[in-house]
Amino acid sequence: MRYFVVALLGVIPSSAWAQWLNYPVKGTPRGPDGKANLTAPTPRRPDGKPDMTGVWMGVTKYMINIAADMKEDEVPFQPAAAQEYQRRRANESKDDPSARCLPLSLPLKQTITSPFKLIDIPAKEEMVMLYEGARHREIFMDGRPLPKDPEPSWYGYSIGRWDGDDLVIDSNGFNGMGWLDINGHPTSEALRVSERYRRIDFGHMSLEITIDDPKMYTKPWKVKESPRLLPDTELLEAVCENNQDLEHMVGK
Amino acid sequence: MRNKSLIAVSGFLLAAAAQLFAHHSFAAEFDANKRVTLKGTVTKVDWRNPHIYVYLNVKDERGGVTEWACEGGPPNVLLREGWTRNSVKEGDEVTIDGAVAKDGSKRCNSRSVNLADGRKVFAGSSEDSADGAGKKQ
Repeated sequence: MRYFVVALLGVIPSSAWAQWLNYPVKGTPRGPDGKANLTAPTPRRPDGKPDMTGVWMGVTKYMINIAADMKEDEVPFQPAAAQEYQRRRANESKDDPSARCLPLSLPLKQTITSPFKLIDIPAKEEMVMLYEGARHREIFMDGRPLPKDPEPSWYGYSIGRWDGDDLVIDSNGFNGMGWLDINGHPTSEALRVSERYRRIDFGHMSLEITIDDPKMYTKPWKVKESPRLLPDTELLEAVCENNQDLEHMVGK
Repeated sequence: MRNKSLIAVSGFLLAAAAQLFAHHSFAAEFDANKRVTLKGTVTKVDWRNPHIYVYLNVKDERGGVTEWACEGGPPNVLLREGWTRNSVKEGDEVTIDGAVAKDGSKRCNSRSVNLADGRKVFAGSSEDSADGAGKKQ
């Protein structure tokens, strides 16, 4: 029966989206079979720094629980934050802002399994991150400081710098309405997020995220993610316009 | 295409490939322990964000017809796995296994959608938590 299913799948026509999905992206190292070689060496800019450009995808478990690799008592909750987190878990995250089509937090934008595209523009001393369902981020690499009294926002303000081969991005100015993950680890306006990206090879990155939010957590804490490159694909539009879930989300 | 076939040969992998851009918490809306198998005729495929819906008319033993709405993955995840808005059409006979809405409405979260000829389509549910998106690569 399994082989029967396979045989039938073979006749399903390929997606008509071949120009956006499955179009061979220039500059992608390939094996003899034409497939992207995801373990080829890290591409480099003319100045020798890693070229971080690409379409990247997070790992599901961190989208659901950013502390997936930690024991629950290892998350340094402030007492009120622990209470709020327990409340959100107790009703199965029914108040999740993303279920209302509201923006995702940083870092949830990076960990969600909808890809982001990073474009490095060295000549402008800037990097841009594009998303399928959310506003872009601009990461200024020109040495400017983070804003001192930022207008609170969903997406925050981001600056970047190189630390050897690591791209380090610091962000502040959040509005405290975002959840760090679907489970509901809370944030406040005091949140600062640091992301440290290292492109290990052509198809793989390591990402260390530091959550520093003294109103919610007693000390900064780190999680490690491992985004992977999606070769030969581009971003597709995802406008959250037919949300039928909300009225049916009863919680427990 | 070969890779898609590889996914299909293993039920386990198929479940893992089911992705979940988890636009929302599965458990807030659906009861993982309350399963349903719906056999019916597709009346509409709503290929929109944040989730696609397959609407189907299900006949009961007494000749009555109930319309169900079954939620699937987000379009972009399905597109990257090779499915399109035309993979299932109005009038298709389908069998959907899914979890039922907690609020008692005629809604389900699809675990699997099977066409009458045995093809399995739209592997994708917000219930699974394994990382599967982009498995085609």
